[in-house]
Amino acid sequence: MNILIPNKWLLEQLETTLKPEKIQEFVSLCGPSVERIYQRGNDEVYDIEITTNRVDSMSVRGIAREAAVILEQFDVPAKLVSQSLLKKDIPKPTDSTKTLQLPKIIDQKKLCRRTMCVVLRDVQRTATPKWMADRLSQIELNVHESAIDITNYVTHELGHPIHAFDYDQVMKLGGEINITEAKKGDEFTTLDGESYTCVGGEVVFKNPEGVIIDLPSIKGTSNTSINDSTKNILLWIEAIHPSKVRFASMTHAIRTVAAQLSEKGIDSHLAEPTLVKAVQLYQELCDVQIASEVYDDFSKEEKLATIIIDLKKIQDYLGISIEKSQVVSILEKLECQVNAVKNTLHVTPPSFRKDLTIPADIVEEIARIYGYHNLPSVLMPTRIPLNKPKDVNFEAEEKTKHFLADTGWFEIYSYSMVSEQLAKNSAYKIEEHLKLANSLTEDKVYLRRSLIPSLEEMIEKNPQEENLSVFELANVYHPRTDQLPLETLYLGMVSQKSLRKTKGDLSSLLQKFYITDFEVKQKTDENRGKILVGKIEIGKIWIDTLKGTGKKMTCIEIEMKALLPLIKTHPAYKALPKTASIKEQLTFTLPAKTQIGPVLQTIREIDGNIKQVTLDDVYQANHTFSIEYWNEKKNLSNELIKPLREKIVKTIEKDYSAKLVGKI
Amino acid sequence: MSDNSINNLKQAITKLRTQFDNEDLDLDAKKTAYLGKKGSFNELSKEIKNVSNENKREAGKLLNELKQYLQKNLVDNSQQKTEWTDLTLPGIKQKKGHIHPISQAIEEISDIFQKIGFTRVRYPEVDWDFYAFEALNMPSDHPARDEWETFFVKTPQNKKMGKMVLTPHTSNGQVREMERLKSKPPIRMINVARCYRRQQDVTHTQMFHQFEGLVVDKGITIQHLKGTLDYFAEKFYGPGTKSRIRPFHFQFTEPSFEVDFSCHICKGTGLITDEHGDKNKCSFCKSGWHEVGGAGMVHPNVLKAGGIDPQEYTGFAFGWGVERTYTLKEGLNIDDIRYFYSGESRFLKQF
Repeated sequence: MNILIPNKWLLEQLETTLKPEKIQEFVSLCGPSVERIYQRGNDEVYDIEITTNRVDSMSVRGIAREAAVILEQFDVPAKLVSQSLLKKDIPKPTDSTKTLQLPKIIDQKKLCRRTMCVVLRDVQRTATPKWMADRLSQIELNVHESAIDITNYVTHELGHPIHAFDYDQVMKLGGEINITEAKKGDEFTTLDGESYTCVGGEVVFKNPEGVIIDLPSIKGTSNTSINDSTKNILLWIEAIHPSKVRFASMTHAIRTVAAQLSEKGIDSHLAEPTLVKAVQLYQELCDVQIASEVYDDFSKEEKLATIIIDLKKIQDYLGISIEKSQVVSILEKLECQVNAVKNTLHVTPPSFRKDLTIPADIVEEIARIYGYHNLPSVLMPTRIPLNKPKDVNFEAEEKTKHFLADTGWFEIYSYSMVSEQLAKNSAYKIEEHLKLANSLTEDKVYLRRSLIPSLEEMIEKNPQEENLSVFELANVYHPRTDQLPLETLYLGMVSQKSLRKTKGDLSSLLQKFYITDFEVKQKTDENRGKILVGKIEIGKIWIDTLKGTGKKMTCIEIEMKALLPLIKTHPAYKALPKTASIKEQLTFTLPAKTQIGPVLQTIREIDGNIKQVTLDDVYQANHTFSIEYWNEKKNLSNELIKPLREKIVKTIEKDYSAKLVGKI
Repeated sequence: MSDNSINNLKQAITKLRTQFDNEDLDLDAKKTAYLGKKGSFNELSKEIKNVSNENKREAGKLLNELKQYLQKNLVDNSQQKTEWTDLTLPGIKQKKGHIHPISQAIEEISDIFQKIGFTRVRYPEVDWDFYAFEALNMPSDHPARDEWETFFVKTPQNKKMGKMVLTPHTSNGQVREMERLKSKPPIRMINVARCYRRQQDVTHTQMFHQFEGLVVDKGITIQHLKGTLDYFAEKFYGPGTKSRIRPFHFQFTEPSFEVDFSCHICKGTGLITDEHGDKNKCSFCKSGWHEVGGAGMVHPNVLKAGGIDPQEYTGFAFGWGVERTYTLKEGLNIDDIRYFYSGESRFLKQF
């Protein structure tokens, strides 16, 4: 949460001669982050980020209190202006004829830690004075009239929300404020005219008939709020359990300043100065008369627990030892009560520091006020862990990316969440995907099970790129019953290059990992094949058509988990050959739809002296194969090769209904 | 060569060439052996008479090629002059691909931390509420959770682990790493992963990347966190870059910090001297510093959730966005981070 604090307003609470820029610098180093300073009207306004645990700093007074302690550390004269706002100083009504009776207040379930109120009569409906209007504008609040703005003003100054009821409306509706939990179906309308239906369990105020007359700590309701004819005010403060406020505020999405403060647990002791300050302003600006006694039920005052901390703990965290007297001094400046027993401190935080509960919290207070910037900076001299995770190989992933990028491929990062259409473009049905319960946009709803549809989309998006090849290394998410999805890392590749060129790139990539060969197993009636290294399936390959243009794309999916165990970091060295190999070409006419992969395989397996077989050229049905013969012991003569050649021709002609071109 | 097939001639030519290539004689002797009157070439040429008439033409061509090959390779290179070449001709470029900038950043970041003993790990991107929040000292409905605009998966809740979420930060790796190491420090982990939040504008995407460091051992102090951050700043942004920590609040660290790096453009001064010697406000940073992310000393409850005794061990953690960290580099002022995930080739080509 951020709060805006005009400098002049701050200086009413903080005595210092320091310039705003210096206040910004010092406070940010040891306390809340003063993110910016705006020039607004004739004043500078600080924009300060307050962390959720420090609701005590969400006010002008709160910031002044923090700043006073911090600035002193920098040897800058700074002091929190003392303040005395006590309920005993509110005068009791003297004229009994002008006394107005307080409503009956019921809190059977003890839902409020503290309740305070007072009745003010004869409210003069005056315009908000310029000084107040200016400050409200500087902190970006709307300006209404004094009777309404006073409540916002004191909340900002002191940090506790306060509400002004139309006293006569409350009395007309039964003169009773019953603090209770709403039932399911109860209805209320907020002061801005929005209607809501309760889910049950919200803390509300009801009249004797069970009508909701306020949504406390969040927003007033229209039936009891100040309106144009309001003459008398019931000024009211309550403290409801933070989780109850949060529940109602989140349930109905009513996120007012009051709600955001109250759900974080405001110090109930703040109720008194806030009420007193508001009464003073109503007297000053609206000429009100005090018409009742001050009601104050603080029967549930919380006591904060004492934290016991060993001084050694401070050294454990900071790596240096700080004098006991300095530690005690810092804590006392922060208004903690400290009892030192040898090397142990018993620290009782002030009522507004509910965030201090464990020794580490006390360490933080000492460290930040001492100044993090005053601590040395060193690398740890401790042991280096050697236990590496299994199943991951980040080096191989990097190598893959580098190789593909070097061979002309573009690496893509696409979203893990996909649209319904992209989910359907995978090999899985839509209902076989995990779906987000609260997706933000329609194009990101399902957790993808394949990278390929996303990559195809990337090709479609870049029609200006000819022969674009894209790849991505990312997880896909396969649902499992009662378990987290199976997250499987895939290498997805989609290219507009020819199938042979794309496969060639894959081949070269695998060679990078010393995997010298792979094959594709494809059923003749299918347009999809399995990629095998030996007997291990590492992925799939298929052809898709680019929407619109009809251009073909080669798609490859490699499952990294299957590939990783096959990867080698170095080759198995073989002594250089002492004999020469002989290469020759054979050309066969093959029937249509003959798979070439198996042909190559067949030739290779004919004899141990056939070292390598490659497809050199294809012209219509004619396929030219290059065959390399080699024997590690002797140079092969034509006489030795001749029978092999004959066997190749015979086998291929027979197994594949092929015909040799030319003669042997 | 009684067979008329030209193939036999081809075989013989291949064989002769292989033999020639492997022959280890001095130049003159080799010349005589191959191109001499009774040399191998002349011997082989006689075989043309055995080739059928229809193939004679091709045979002649093959023999001619062989002769040229032999001649070319029997020239004394020491006296050979290279013909004139226009060296100003433009080069022909290989088609170049591109590694995505996020990968480049992740690689650089991981390398920096691995050099000081960090182990890179990977944990689920879809995880249980337990690891993403509960074990990090954030019970359900804690207001601190509001800051993580979390995506939930539509699936039944697990009794023990809670809801299934898309990880809104990499901190789910903290307790998982403690579990992997069976609660036995030392821990020096760097976890880089995809993260997800319900947000979308020029500075936020529904998916982004974070990296998370976690160090746990005996005697780990705030000084070591500062040392690690300074080391990273210096390596990643260049010599002279400093880090600073300021108070902040996270539920899973105590104390918690916000981490800033000094601006490498104005050297942390917030001022730039122009060509006239005038000092102007640095437009790249906020008064000399860049806010990059969060850090802190691991909260005792988080150590406990990972089975580690907070009386015996302390630790620190830090985590921030890869995109943000990377785009703070000089010259990488990318105004709309959605480009990272757009697949826009004009964007990717620049990296």
